Parts: sequence; structure tokens; C-alpha cells
Amino acid sequence: MGVRVTTGRTLLAAVVGFGVALSVQAAEYPNIGPLPQLKINKAKAELGKRLFFDKRLSGDAAVSCATCHVPEKGYAGKEALSPGYPGNGHFRNASSLINAAHRKVWNWDGRIGTNLNDMTREMLTEDYTMNMDMRIMQERVKQDPVYVKMFKDAGYGEPSNGSVRKAIPEYLKTLTSTNAPFDKGRMSASAKRGMKLFKGKAGCIRCHSGPMMTDQRAHNTGVPENFDVFMDPMNHQAFIAFTMFQGIPNYMNLKRDPGYFNVTLLEEDMGKFLTPSLRELKYSAPYMHNGMIKTLAGVVDFYNQGSGKDSNKSEMLKPLKLSGKEKKDLVAFLEALSGDKLTSDKHVWKQPYPSEYEAIANWTKVRN
Amino acid sequence: MRMKKLTLTLVAAAVAAVFAGCQATPAKQESAAASAEMSAAKMAMKPSGSPPLAPLGKAPIPPDNKLTPAKVELGKLLFFDPRIGGDASTGCSTCHEPEQGWAWAEDFSRGYPGTVHWRNSQSIINSAYYPRQFWAGSASSNEKQAKSAAKGGVAGNGEDDIMEARLALIPEYRKRFKEVFGTEWPIIDDVWHAISAFERTMNTTGKYEVPLDKYLKGDKSALSKQQVRGMALFNGKGGCINCHNGELTTDTDFHNIGVPPNKRWEEDGLAQITFRFEQYAKGQTEQGYRSAKSDWGFYYRSKNKWDKGKFRTAPLRYIAYTAPYMHNGVFYTLEEVIDFYNRGGFDEEGRTTLFPKNKSAMIKPLGLTDQEKEDLLAFLEAFSGPEITMEKPEQPPYAPLFSMAELKAAQEAK
Repeated sequence: MGVRVTTGRTLLAAVVGFGVALSVQAAEYPNIGPLPQLKINKAKAELGKRLFFDKRLSGDAAVSCATCHVPEKGYAGKEALSPGYPGNGHFRNASSLINAAHRKVWNWDGRIGTNLNDMTREMLTEDYTMNMDMRIMQERVKQDPVYVKMFKDAGYGEPSNGSVRKAIPEYLKTLTSTNAPFDKGRMSASAKRGMKLFKGKAGCIRCHSGPMMTDQRAHNTGVPENFDVFMDPMNHQAFIAFTMFQGIPNYMNLKRDPGYFNVTLLEEDMGKFLTPSLRELKYSAPYMHNGMIKTLAGVVDFYNQGSGKDSNKSEMLKPLKLSGKEKKDLVAFLEALSGDKLTSDKHVWKQPYPSEYEAIANWTKVRN
Repeated sequence: MRMKKLTLTLVAAAVAAVFAGCQATPAKQESAAASAEMSAAKMAMKPSGSPPLAPLGKAPIPPDNKLTPAKVELGKLLFFDPRIGGDASTGCSTCHEPEQGWAWAEDFSRGYPGTVHWRNSQSIINSAYYPRQFWAGSASSNEKQAKSAAKGGVAGNGEDDIMEARLALIPEYRKRFKEVFGTEWPIIDDVWHAISAFERTMNTTGKYEVPLDKYLKGDKSALSKQQVRGMALFNGKGGCINCHNGELTTDTDFHNIGVPPNKRWEEDGLAQITFRFEQYAKGQTEQGYRSAKSDWGFYYRSKNKWDKGKFRTAPLRYIAYTAPYMHNGVFYTLEEVIDFYNRGGFDEEGRTTLFPKNKSAMIKPLGLTDQEKEDLLAFLEAFSGPEITMEKPEQPPYAPLFSMAELKAAQEAK
């Protein structure tokens, strides 16, 4: 992930220095307050919205971005493991895209730390996600008069794959938490108690800090492997293709998701995953990088027991000794971090796409 | 597509060495190179000794990919396996369908789902013999052809890593690759070797021998009287022998014979998409991308303007099964092909190549009578023997690589 490594290391050292989960001082961590406003270009975002829901942006025109990032699910996956491209499965849970534009690092293993333009390219072109030859994509887009007009109106001129990679991130900016009780100051008493635990006894804030409730760093929390990754050859083939392409040693014998190890190739980073944002969790179950925990109560239980088993596991994770009531309060707080569903026309392209490509008239006479 | 120019005469081999090939470039081209071509083309007009048609011998086998029964059998499995492709729907046999002449019976090959191709699918039958594959000769071996087709965006659209990963999860393949290539895991490069080994056994030899070859080997009963008359036209007035010559029935060179652009590009949005994509994929210039309205063929490889619209001389064996014809499949019958050449490289609407300056000087109206056309057609039938059919093998199934016990043990060891 490579973002703010030095600060992070210092931070981690500080945390380890405190040693115990019980006495976290919230002031040490970036405030979990509301998200900053993003400036959005409407025409570009509208174009990005049409692209996001358009299946013609995948190799065989069978899947769109929204196939794996489902609006009803907070733009996360429906299942523990993302479906992937036809002909294969996937090996991780599809993360929520709500607030993705606020991040600095993307993917569960943090392998993209540049911008959403690169992230968009990765998802469009990887063979286990959308398997799109972007030269074909560009020509498909140019063949649709609605796009030709939208690209022009957005100031991009002629459709190009470069501007597709700009328009989709512009649309992603519109997927920002809206009216979350936490942001509106309308939390229940239970949620308020939960927030106190979050910042104090439960120690969540040590990683889930800042407006996104994530430090955007990688940690090993000992989440058990999802055996479906390996027992289902469709998923396993995507995993093998991924690890082979990424240059992970001994990929044919790997029986675990290497996580952030992919970025550093350091043993100590094996099994680390990026801290996820805690916003919009109400919609985005199941949880964790591999969807192994089905409910928020399950997640709280997981951390309460000191999380899972792994020799690389973060020192910060110890049993929390939360009472039943405290656990409920914590869940109430987590739920208060979810806002309105972003499923109306404002965020979802609901108009039909043409069932076939119109021929360009007078083809022999016009320039391509 | 397999049928090619019934041109005048040409010293095929000699002229191939001169870059003009057997095309005439008008003197308008001012460069010295162009004048050189011109004189070469003039020389080519003289009656000459094209290699005569000869029976098909044994397929050449490259020393770095010897045939073994196990390799051929593995190659057959892979040829028919759609998992050698992007979304596991489109394998070699998808566009090289045994029941469609081991090709595809439409003008353009069907292409990857969501696309259409832009050229006619060529039969794999006898592909072992040709020094270069594809219409513009862009692959120098079956191995390279298989790789390009499996990976091309409008063909297989597969990527090495996912295809290799799939094979690793199919126990039958692991076993066979180990036996044949000695590797612990299937290697993608070996896939192209195995498929090529299989293809090299798919020839019009043995029981599939074509009547022409029987005749050329001395069985005079193999051709009818009409076919013998057609052969004389082929070698003489029709001028076919100028390019369709020798053992392979092709000079394996590139010629512009005047095939008009496929009208589908004017009417079909999907075809227009692929057309522009191909300009990119073949390394066109911006100007070329904007202005191209037909397939520039061999130009994409040579980048010489005089190569625009040239394509590899198609071999003629097995053509009874491989309609439609030409690089873009514009002719659906051999009658149309003969008429096209008889008109001097024009279709029935008078259309021809968009690069008339590059059109071979050998392509002239032939003045064939109806009887002669029928005779020629009858002779062309002698290039095909029995249809080569094959039962498609069953796809070996996937199986998990690890047992649950192994996974649990790994979990415990974390």
C-alpha cells in the first residue's frame, strides 16, 4: 500500500507501547467525524454512472461493475466471495464502494495506492474480474450515440478508454454516505454508549480511525481462511491466476490468502489486510476480506474473543471482556454509521441500454 | 476463401524474392522502389514455370515439437476445450468447428462472445504444411497461431495465467501434461505445442486423400473428363496455377486480387467496432485508423503502402467444406469465386479492392465460357475428398487441488 508508511509505523509503535486494549486514548487517533465534501462534476459523474452499470464494459459483455458491487448491498458483494468473471469465481469479498473515493489505498491487500483511475483500470482488465481488452471497450463506447453525446457534454471530447477511467471515479465520488445517524447527531442512547466503547474499552479506534473509520493500513486479525476459495475450483483458479500474475512465490501450494504480503513479499505481512471502512455496514454483510463473518454481532464476538489465530496476528488484539449489553451497544453504534440506501435514480442507472450496436450511417464516407 | 487468383502467369518463386510479388503497381508511384516493382510485374507477365500441382506429401514436423500419440491426444482434448479462452466458452473448436470444415461457415468468424471477428475463419485442415498462418501471415507456426487466437480480444480473449490455472485444477490434464512434457504443472506454452501436434495430424492424406492427389499419383480414374478439362483451364486460360501451385496449392505469398470490402462493415455496428479495434490491434497510425475502410492485410505487417489489400494465397484442398471464401468471406459459393476472377477481380456489382493500384496485374478478365466455368468448378471439386469428422471428446472435469484435511492443517499451522 505504501502510503504514509513512516507515520504508520510510528503509530503502530505507539499503540504497541500502550500495550493493552483496555486503555486506549481516543485523542491519539484521527477523529472519526463526518466525511469531507467532494466536488463533483455532474456531467462526468452521470457518464460514469452509465458506464458503471453497463455490461458492455466486460470482455464478453456479461458483467458490469454493478454485478459484483450491488447497490442494494451498499455497492458490496451479495455473497461471501465475489462472483468474478464468467468462467471463474473469485477469492475475496467485494468491498463496498460507498466512500471509496475518500480512500487513499484500494483492494483488500492494498496493492493500489495511487488513485481510482488505476483501480478502475485494474477491475476492467483483470481476467478474473471483467477481462476487458480496453481497446475493444473504447470502440464499443464510441459505437453508442448516447455515449458519444455524454462524453462530449462532459468535456471529454471523443470517447476514449482514458476518459472512461476518469468518468467512473467521478461517479464513485457520488457514492458518499448520506444521512448516517452518526453524521446527523441522531444516534440512540445505545449507539452513543457503543461509540464510547469503540473509542475506549473495545479499542476499535486504533485501526478504525478518521472519517472513514479506517487507518487504511494492513493488519493481521487472524480471520480464518474461507475454504470455499480452495474447495471450489472456480474460485481457486482465480486465486491461482492472481497469485501467479502478482509474483507470489510457491503459489500453487498456497493454502491461505497472502494479503498484504503481495505488496511487500515480507513474511511478517502474510495474512494482513487493509482495515475496512465501517460505514454502510448495515448493507454490506457478510464481513471481512473473505466474507467469513455473517453478522455485525458475529464481528463483535470475533474481536471480543481476541479475534482469530495467526502467528502474525496484531499485538493489539486481545480478549475485550465485553458484556452482552456492551456488545449490543457496539453493534448499535456500528449500525448508526450507515446512511440512506443509495439505490434511487440518483445513483443507479436505470434506463435500458441498447440491445445491439447501431451501425454508423454512411460508414464508407465518414472518418472512423 | 480457399479459392484464389486465376491469374495470368508468374515466376512465383523468383518474383516473391522481389518485393513486388505478383502485383503490378502503376507507374504513378514515383519512387525507385515502385519502378522496380513495375519491371518485376512486367517480367511476371511472361509465361513461366509455376511449380505444377503435386500430390500432398507427409506433413512437416518441426524438430522442437515431435509428434507422439500421447501429445496428439492431449492436443485434441485441448483443441476442443473451451476453457482455453477467456470466459470458458470459446476454445479453438468454437471457430474451427469440425462440421463447418474445421472453420466457421459465415463471412466473419464468430468471435468471442460480445464481439464478432473481422476475417474469415480458416480451416485447420492441412495447416501443418504452411510456413505462415493467418490471412496476413502474422504467425510463423501453428504454435504461434494457436497462442494468438486463444488470446486475441475478438477470438479466445484468454490470458495465460487464468488458462494455466484452470489446467492445474483438472487432474486429467495434470496427469497428461506430466506424461507428455514432464512438468509438474501444465505450462501454457505446452498447450500451444500439444494443440499444434494435434493439428498436424489433421490432413487430407491417407483415407482423406483428395481425388486430385490420387490422379496426380497416377490414378487416372480419379478425375472425370470434365475435371481433366477443368484442370487444363486451371493451368492455362484460367491462370489459377500462377498462385495456386505446387504441392500446397498455394505459393504462400501475398497478393491483392481485388476482393471488395465486406458490406457488413457498412451495416453491422458490432462489425464496425471490431473493424476499428483491429486497426489498433494491428498497429495502425492515427491517420490509418481514421481513414481505413477495408482490411489492409499484409500492410499491417510490412507497413509498405503497396502491400495494402494483400492476403495470403489460400490453399485449395478441402474447399468443398470451407465456404464462404476469401479473407472476408464475401463469396459463399465457388461459382461466385470463379465469376469474380472471370470478371477480372470484380464482384457482380462491379466492386473491387479499395487499393486498385495494388491489384495484381495477373488479375484480368478471363473470358471463360459457361462451359469452361463449369469445367473449372468441377475440377475445384477434385480438391476435396471425404469430410473429416470427429467425435468431440468430453471435457475432463475440475477437482479441488487440496483436501479439507490439508486446508485445516494449514489453518492450524498459521
